Amino acid sequence: MSVLIDIQGLGKTFSDPSLRLGPRRPPVRAVDQVSFQILRGEALAIVGESGCGKSTLGRLLLQLIEPSEGKVIFEGKDLNKTTKAEMRQLRRKMQMVFQDPFGSLSPRRKVVDIIAEPMDSFGMTKSRKERREKVAELLTLVGLPSSYMDRKPRQFSGGQRQRIGIARAISVDPMFIVADEPVSALDVSIQAQIINLMQDLQEKKGFSFLFIAHDLAVVRHIADRVAVMYLGRIVEMGTKEQIYAAPHHPYTEALLSAAPQPDPTATRDRIILKGDVPSPSNVPSGCAFRTRCPLAADICRDERPSLREIEPHRTVACHFAAPRPISHRRAMA
Amino acid sequence: MSEALLDIKDLTIEFGSGSQPLRVVDNISFAVSLGETVGIVGESGSGKSMTALSVLRLVPEAARVSGQIIFEGRDLLKLPKREMPAIRGKEIGMIFQEPMSSLNPLMTIGDQIDEAIRLHEDIPAPERRKRVLALLRLVGMPDPENRLSAYPDQFSGGMRQRVMAAIAMACNPKLLIADEPTTALDVTIQAQVLAMMLDIRARFNSSILLITHDLGVVAEICERVVVMYAGRILEDADARSLFSNARHPYTQGLLRSVPTLNDTRKRLYQIPGSVPPAGTIKAGCPFRPRCSVRMERCAVEMPPLRTYDPGHRVACWATAEAAA
Repeated sequence: MSVLIDIQGLGKTFSDPSLRLGPRRPPVRAVDQVSFQILRGEALAIVGESGCGKSTLGRLLLQLIEPSEGKVIFEGKDLNKTTKAEMRQLRRKMQMVFQDPFGSLSPRRKVVDIIAEPMDSFGMTKSRKERREKVAELLTLVGLPSSYMDRKPRQFSGGQRQRIGIARAISVDPMFIVADEPVSALDVSIQAQIINLMQDLQEKKGFSFLFIAHDLAVVRHIADRVAVMYLGRIVEMGTKEQIYAAPHHPYTEALLSAAPQPDPTATRDRIILKGDVPSPSNVPSGCAFRTRCPLAADICRDERPSLREIEPHRTVACHFAAPRPISHRRAMA
Repeated sequence: MSEALLDIKDLTIEFGSGSQPLRVVDNISFAVSLGETVGIVGESGSGKSMTALSVLRLVPEAARVSGQIIFEGRDLLKLPKREMPAIRGKEIGMIFQEPMSSLNPLMTIGDQIDEAIRLHEDIPAPERRKRVLALLRLVGMPDPENRLSAYPDQFSGGMRQRVMAAIAMACNPKLLIADEPTTALDVTIQAQVLAMMLDIRARFNSSILLITHDLGVVAEICERVVVMYAGRILEDADARSLFSNARHPYTQGLLRSVPTLNDTRKRLYQIPGSVPPAGTIKAGCPFRPRCSVRMERCAVEMPPLRTYDPGHRVACWATAEAAA
């Protein structure tokens, strides 16, 4: 598979925008020196806790916000150096699916207009009839009756609204879709429907997929590769098999061991991290994870571990990187 | 463990008047024994939170509540309203999902925990202070002496939830009700709060009623599970038999559809259709439109909860037929 997006040293710092008097709040380093590649047709998941910068990263990749440093190279083009007209054409190739299907659809518009909006904007619909036909096709593709196109979003459940959001995103045949926590607001019995739908569509359409999530179990189903973020940095990245069988970073290990599993007989040696995630406006020196890390030593305070390749496709940023197999054994009944 | 601390019988909660009231909880019965941790699992509109609120008589004024909520031999629904404050916080503690909206932003956390003791017990200030510090240590607050004078906004979500738990446990209640206590928290913080709840249970031998949508959390700390759907109880079993031998098609489907860390399935099992909004299914089994084993009878008549193995109750006509 060839590279679709090449991300080089990407960073984003937000400074206090308020106009009030008095001292400004310190700037927040939301994304820090992130580099990786997204291949054509691949599903890459970004996993981390709140404040780790995963949503900011997704928005940077789509140029919805401007990076403070670094580059995003999409099909060989540096997105920072494109003209407005070029960027507009590129937008057609990259789309987004949001977390909250209630907040991301206009309540006043009909489904047909919501779904057709990106096509309208790129002049992809010639006539009213063709527009309705295309929307009907898209509705069928996401598992909704095409007769729904004249209804308004409030008449739909959360899962149905997320299907509408997905239909809208794929309407312009994008090459790249960023989905930011697309199932976390949905009921448990609906999550599986949406996960399966997104997998099917990706198989059918072949787009690349950046899936942003906090839930490692959901990611296991959808991703080819997984990147784990902590305080704006990628701490570990690898194929799904590598990450789930034996994480090499103690944070990945802790995340996996903390996720509650629907099996009361599972025996696991749970690692419970101390304390909270530090504020991204005051990232610890050296390794950002050291304040909660059970393995932390002096070197972790003094020296920031670089993301290094330890085996093919797998990179880890830890001075003490080593396989940490996770057991999901079931106790003998 | 057999003596019921809380015994809910035929509880029904309705909103609206006239001929078409909205029934959000429909004739449910279950019990919580002394020292037992019971989870109520359900999706949106299942009535799980309303059930929890009704135990403290905190449902909105407009709701009509019928049935019995027997706590230590007294029917809470028959108590005069003015007697409820003596029970809330003293006999029954509660932890809510979003601690920031339940804590007073203008009061130090030390004062808020102290207030919870002062309302119910007449003990001198220095002893109360000792108890407040002990409670903060119990819930795992680091450096409690210096945190007494801090305000809620100085804490993270996980720490606020610990403060809530300290308030809930201030008078050593016999029953702790926790409504989605970890839903707003990150995974690693959720693990801390669940460990804290297990610790509280071990030290106080409190009964816990946990409301959640998360089957993983249930498996983690509950001994018994009540599965609710659209206002009804569909299954009620001890946790081990529920997870290894679910008998209701809804529970079975739910368990199969949950992604797990170690499964290698290519596709997840999916329950078709969507969760019905509260009160929209009037007759028969509310799960019928999504059920793969539905029968004609399911459209007409709600199946009663029937006991299969000891302590395992299921409301399903198809299950009953298969067992016959």
